[in-house]
Amino acid sequence: MRLSSLLIAAAGCTLFCAPVFSQAPPGPLVANRPPAAAPTSEKTLSVRVVAYTIDAKLDATKHTIDATETLTYKNLTGKPQQTFPFHMYLNAFQPQSTFMTEVRRSGTRGNGPDTAWDPKHFGSITIDKLEADGSGDLTSKMQFIHPDDDNAADRTVFQVSLASPVAPGASVTFHITFRDQLPEVVERTGYKRDFDMVGQWFPKVGVWWKDAWNCHQFHANSEFFADFGTFDVKVTVPQNELVGAAGDLLSTVKNSDGTQTLTYHSEDVHDFSWGASPSFTLVNDVWNGPQGPVQIHVLMSPGNMPSAPRYIAALKGSLRLFDQWYGPYPYDRITVIDPPHGGSDAGGMEYPTLITADTSWNMPKGALAPEIVTEHEFGHQYWYGMVATNEFEEAWLDEGINSYTEAKVMNELYGKDTSALNFPFLQSGENGVLRLEYLGSIDSDPIATYAWKFRDSNSYGSVTYGKTATVLLTLEKIIGEDTMRQALHTYFMRYRFTHPTGEDFLKTIEEVSGKDLRWYFDQGIYGTNVFDYRVEDAHSDPLQWWDISHAHPKPADGMYRTYVTVRRKGDFICPVDLEVKFDDGSTATEHWDGKDRWIRYQYDRKAEIASARIDSQDQLWLDRNFVNNSYNEQADERATHKFRNLWVFASELFSQLLAWLT
Amino acid sequence: MDRTEGGTFFRGAGLVWKWQRLLWWIFAMSLIFAHLATQGMVERLGQALNHSDASQFFVHGFNVAQLGALAAQPDSPLTSDMPAAAHYSVVFMIFMLFLTGGILATYIRDERLRTGAFFEACGYHFWRFFRLLIYMLIVFLPLAGLGMGAGAMYNRIDERSISPFPAVHFFEASAIVLLFLLVVIRIWFDMAQVIAVADDEKRMHKALRRAFGLLWHNFFSLLWLYIRVSIIAWIFIGLGLALWMLGLKPESNIAAFLLSQLIILIWIATRLWQRASESLWYRRHAASSVPEPVWTPAPVMAPVAVAEPYVPPTT
Repeated sequence: MRLSSLLIAAAGCTLFCAPVFSQAPPGPLVANRPPAAAPTSEKTLSVRVVAYTIDAKLDATKHTIDATETLTYKNLTGKPQQTFPFHMYLNAFQPQSTFMTEVRRSGTRGNGPDTAWDPKHFGSITIDKLEADGSGDLTSKMQFIHPDDDNAADRTVFQVSLASPVAPGASVTFHITFRDQLPEVVERTGYKRDFDMVGQWFPKVGVWWKDAWNCHQFHANSEFFADFGTFDVKVTVPQNELVGAAGDLLSTVKNSDGTQTLTYHSEDVHDFSWGASPSFTLVNDVWNGPQGPVQIHVLMSPGNMPSAPRYIAALKGSLRLFDQWYGPYPYDRITVIDPPHGGSDAGGMEYPTLITADTSWNMPKGALAPEIVTEHEFGHQYWYGMVATNEFEEAWLDEGINSYTEAKVMNELYGKDTSALNFPFLQSGENGVLRLEYLGSIDSDPIATYAWKFRDSNSYGSVTYGKTATVLLTLEKIIGEDTMRQALHTYFMRYRFTHPTGEDFLKTIEEVSGKDLRWYFDQGIYGTNVFDYRVEDAHSDPLQWWDISHAHPKPADGMYRTYVTVRRKGDFICPVDLEVKFDDGSTATEHWDGKDRWIRYQYDRKAEIASARIDSQDQLWLDRNFVNNSYNEQADERATHKFRNLWVFASELFSQLLAWLT
Repeated sequence: MDRTEGGTFFRGAGLVWKWQRLLWWIFAMSLIFAHLATQGMVERLGQALNHSDASQFFVHGFNVAQLGALAAQPDSPLTSDMPAAAHYSVVFMIFMLFLTGGILATYIRDERLRTGAFFEACGYHFWRFFRLLIYMLIVFLPLAGLGMGAGAMYNRIDERSISPFPAVHFFEASAIVLLFLLVVIRIWFDMAQVIAVADDEKRMHKALRRAFGLLWHNFFSLLWLYIRVSIIAWIFIGLGLALWMLGLKPESNIAAFLLSQLIILIWIATRLWQRASESLWYRRHAASSVPEPVWTPAPVMAPVAVAEPYVPPTT
């Protein structure tokens, strides 16, 4: 499939893809080459467990979708299966759902609904009919379950039992008629004015994993988990709508009722989403990688067009570096949907081969948010899309690893110190931003925590994204940046198109580095230990101090005894390096295993101390406090003066504003 | 713009220049207040940063993430003095409320007041202006209501319109209208203050009524007088900020200090310019009917050449 697709794509590109940043006239999104071949018996990228065929019709006025779904599930569990659980994610957007209960209790990931219920955020998915081959109509046998809590009102998971078990290796086909009511855009999905983002919108079967069904309810702080397979999806929308979808467009048919039906095919993916709006402007581009061309489709919302080249530049850079560092991007397309003004709750989300970006009108070039979001969501094509970890139970494996690679890629593309903010007067690198996120909730939960069991959404975000990335950045200090990159490459190549666990990831790092890192993972991944080393004291004293007087302030022999004390303030034990510099230019370097609470070094030299510093290479990103990592005998007050200027000015400005009232 | 208005505009600037001692005084007090407000924070910051390599994050540029990390520390030197800094600003506001009587008396009389007379004028008008401040806050209430109404309307348009632009343009337009209303209210109260000083009007509701009448009949004249100075202020402040942020080297602390203080000085000067122009405008407007200001400084006590001998009372 892949090779044939690439050959066809190359021909298609010659015909269609020349104009870079060309803006297509409104109309359906048309793939730049003939459709990919239907699944055949050839070796596939993934073990295809599911095959979905969906025929969906959007009512663009009511924001409803009426659809039929045929799901063929291949029983590769090795056991007879009679009961099947399904996700019904859209039912989360109801007042009594577990999702809303958790939002009400402790917030959500930051772009969800308010804690007060707003009826416009109501969403639902209802099944009118469910049949299974060999079992007949099972609609009345559907039973909502709540495996994670005791909330009987939650309707985000149901299960159904067949008349007879499906034997190992055999398949069962379900026929489902369902109807979606999209909410006004919330938590990744919904509508905003004439824009519809249709994600997590169809009944999706759970995953048989670790010898059991894994089908969690939809939580405020969790994402998704599904099996690989194929998707053949027909989408019927008004003819004036432009559609971006996670598949190759096979055909477009204009219907007599003013609608159009677009048929998509996608394979070796575990989800399918799409978005539509008559206000989109399509921007096409192509990235020519070692695996062949990758079509880039960007659907821009009104007012956001200046961000299109920025999305594309970030996307191309990410494609190049991911391919170079971690492994090949095997798909022939990537679609970016840019949500409209006010619809950013749909932004910054990943689906296989489709991502949603985020920007705003007049986004300054120095604010690299559009690039970061694009890079991050593209990174999920690897860490979630292909390495399909369980986002409910081990969110750090996708969001955390992806945040780490986000920093690596952004630093490479936009500069280590300017990869997040790059103004003449303000700067920030990605490493610092992720560390700042980690500092927001430094010891509230271990990284290895089920997504919905974090203390609150702040802890979930801080630990899952920021702390994981910071742990991995610090790990570079221990095993080396190149080894870390090699470990991620090995992890990707070994586990792509599977469902690995956290232990699979950690063991791969140990294997590639050849080091026992359990001590580090126990503290960083499974623990809540706080990392804080400091230079407690650094000073020099004349060796013959008793000879010192006002008349002779310097020792006659010029000898000094220098003391440097390093202290472990936190409970995270990690080896640290200490670099001591003397005023004659000489240096001393120490390596401390960091186990004791403190250590004192002593030097007898004809020189006084100039400085003492832990982590002179700036690699211990986990250290909660950089300020106490060094001591310089010579004070440098320039930063303090700068702060004084700013504070005084801000205070005066505020005073003048108040005085304006008088 | 007629010649009279132009004259008022430039003569207002002339008044500020002529009595520039006021400007420097206010500027110095503003700087002292700000220094006191931030001193504790700066000292703690110095203790933390001066001997640390982490200070370099802020010397050659300004690393926002590191600033955030500094603020996120349990014993952060950045956050603990925020309430104190706000208190100093409130005290400065009250101080300016106190000074306003003296400032306006100086501009209206256009003669040098001795220090004692200046502060006497300040004290004489303080409670009147305090009452005006209360009135102003009351007037702001419907404005706040208007702002909330505009917000609700924005949401309504945003929900009903098929394009995002109408709601955003409505938001921009309503922000301009609210800003305009704020300016109008400020001019209204400015004129009430001028009337209170020039005519020694003790009843502030009457001063407000008269100021409203003046504003009603001379709306564009007064508005243009105020707006022109505001535009000049914003141009210079904008240029100053742009030069500070974009033109100066990150390490240029002295230049940054001078420039930042120049911005504050321009702010104060242009506000005084508005007050001086309004005072002049009122003087000219009422020239034919308004005699000398009723309020006059108390006579300075002449030194007694020979003191009367103290004679204790006899019982």
